[in-house]
Amino acid sequence: MSHPKTPHVVDARFMEPPEPFVKTMEMLDLLKDGEKMLLLLYREPHPLYKVLKQNGHAYETELMPDGTYEILIWP
Amino acid sequence: MQALLSFENTPPFAAPLRFFVTAPLFAVLAGLLLLLEGPALFASRWMPATLAATHLMTVGFMLQVMLGALIQILPVVAGANLKRPLLIATILHLGLSIGALLLAGGFYLGQPLLLSAAALLLAATVLVFLVATTLALIGVPSTSPTIRGLKLALFGLFGVVALGAVMAFALAHGWALPLPVLTDLHAGWGLGGWAGVLLAAIAYVVVPMFQLTPGYPAKPSWWFPLAMLSLLLLWSAAVFFDLSALIRLCQGLAAIVGIAFAGLTLRLQQQRRRARADATYHYWQLGLTASIFALLMLLTAALWPAATDSAGWTLLFGILLVGGGFLPFIVGMLYKIVPFLAWTHLQNQGQAKVPAPSMNKILADTDMQRQMIAYAAALALLLAAVFFPDWLARPAGLGFALASGWLWFNLFGAIRRYRQFGRDIQVKLAAKLAGSK
Repeated sequence: MSHPKTPHVVDARFMEPPEPFVKTMEMLDLLKDGEKMLLLLYREPHPLYKVLKQNGHAYETELMPDGTYEILIWP
Repeated sequence: MQALLSFENTPPFAAPLRFFVTAPLFAVLAGLLLLLEGPALFASRWMPATLAATHLMTVGFMLQVMLGALIQILPVVAGANLKRPLLIATILHLGLSIGALLLAGGFYLGQPLLLSAAALLLAATVLVFLVATTLALIGVPSTSPTIRGLKLALFGLFGVVALGAVMAFALAHGWALPLPVLTDLHAGWGLGGWAGVLLAAIAYVVVPMFQLTPGYPAKPSWWFPLAMLSLLLLWSAAVFFDLSALIRLCQGLAAIVGIAFAGLTLRLQQQRRRARADATYHYWQLGLTASIFALLMLLTAALWPAATDSAGWTLLFGILLVGGGFLPFIVGMLYKIVPFLAWTHLQNQGQAKVPAPSMNKILADTDMQRQMIAYAAALALLLAAVFFPDWLARPAGLGFALASGWLWFNLFGAIRRYRQFGRDIQVKLAAKLAGSK
């Protein structure tokens, strides 16, 4: 799946926990320098935010009208 | 990888669990009170036993689970951490449990001293909670409708408890207050401003997460809590200035806002991706349907006030909204939260070397489904007992006590199995570590 923001997308909107978390961490491992990834979820993943901060990643979240949170993450 | 799943600052399992296994016992007590009192409890909403039973359900069950669950989920849904969660849990659990017993006892026995003590204790307990959560939420920006909803719900909690405490003192000391109008307002703040707004704020997260539905659209999610709280403020002003038409307008609009939320949730549930309908799904379907009927009654009464003169109207409304709506929502969530938390804690104990057993092994879906059917049957008896109290009040009380006792048995069983699995994991882990040396 691709997206205007980046080609690296984890669409976790219909996944059960902890799958969204696991899939995001797996994709982060595969990113090359300068690449960004996008996580799509129907909630704000505060526990993931904490891990991202601990690992030195940056992120930016936008709530779309349909209730999707688009979380753009980069190393 | 698995180590990352253990979030530091997550409260220990013991913090929320005590609330979850105590709450059903208060529902059992409410059922037993009905069994003891029989048809007298259905004579009017103002009967001492009726007020006692109502508060066993709302304070003893609902408030108990809500505060316990919030200690657990504030970090997950808002990124807010309570300081010293175990200490806070101990204070809240004791204060709520003793406070609910004092309050029910005060109503039932007509004892002013018990009522005053209950009001003081419950107000102080809730104040501890409000201070702790406000400290945790200060500096947390309202980036999602859930966080804003939670903040507004705390305001609703303040409203219902402040009003309740004033009324308890008024009742105890014979202060001249318009108690019937204030009681409606107190119920409005409790069920709309606190429970309703909190339910919505949490539903935005847990309905899509646990039932694999689409998300709640952003706009109505932002507006629902604000609309409900604004209506309650307006309703309060209308009570203060004695404007009965405005009171009715606020009640009618609150009903419409509530129906819109329930209708939207029903529509989302219809689009769920989970193939199998589990106990939580059924509990929520029951809760949403019963709430819509209850709120339609509220809307009818707002348009046509004479409707409330008919015998049993208010009781039917209360049973539908609390017993048919909020309790099923809460039990439905407990049936997801308890196995999920147990599984997460077991997963952490295994340190990625010993896998945790599946959630179904911690609490089997068949056990939850059977209890759900028993609860639905007890609810049907309760509703029918409004019309045939002489025949059905006592069977309904017994049924409700049994269904609530079954809930306790299911939750307690899950905790027992969790502890057993935890011990098994420790043994296996020790064997693995010894083998790898």
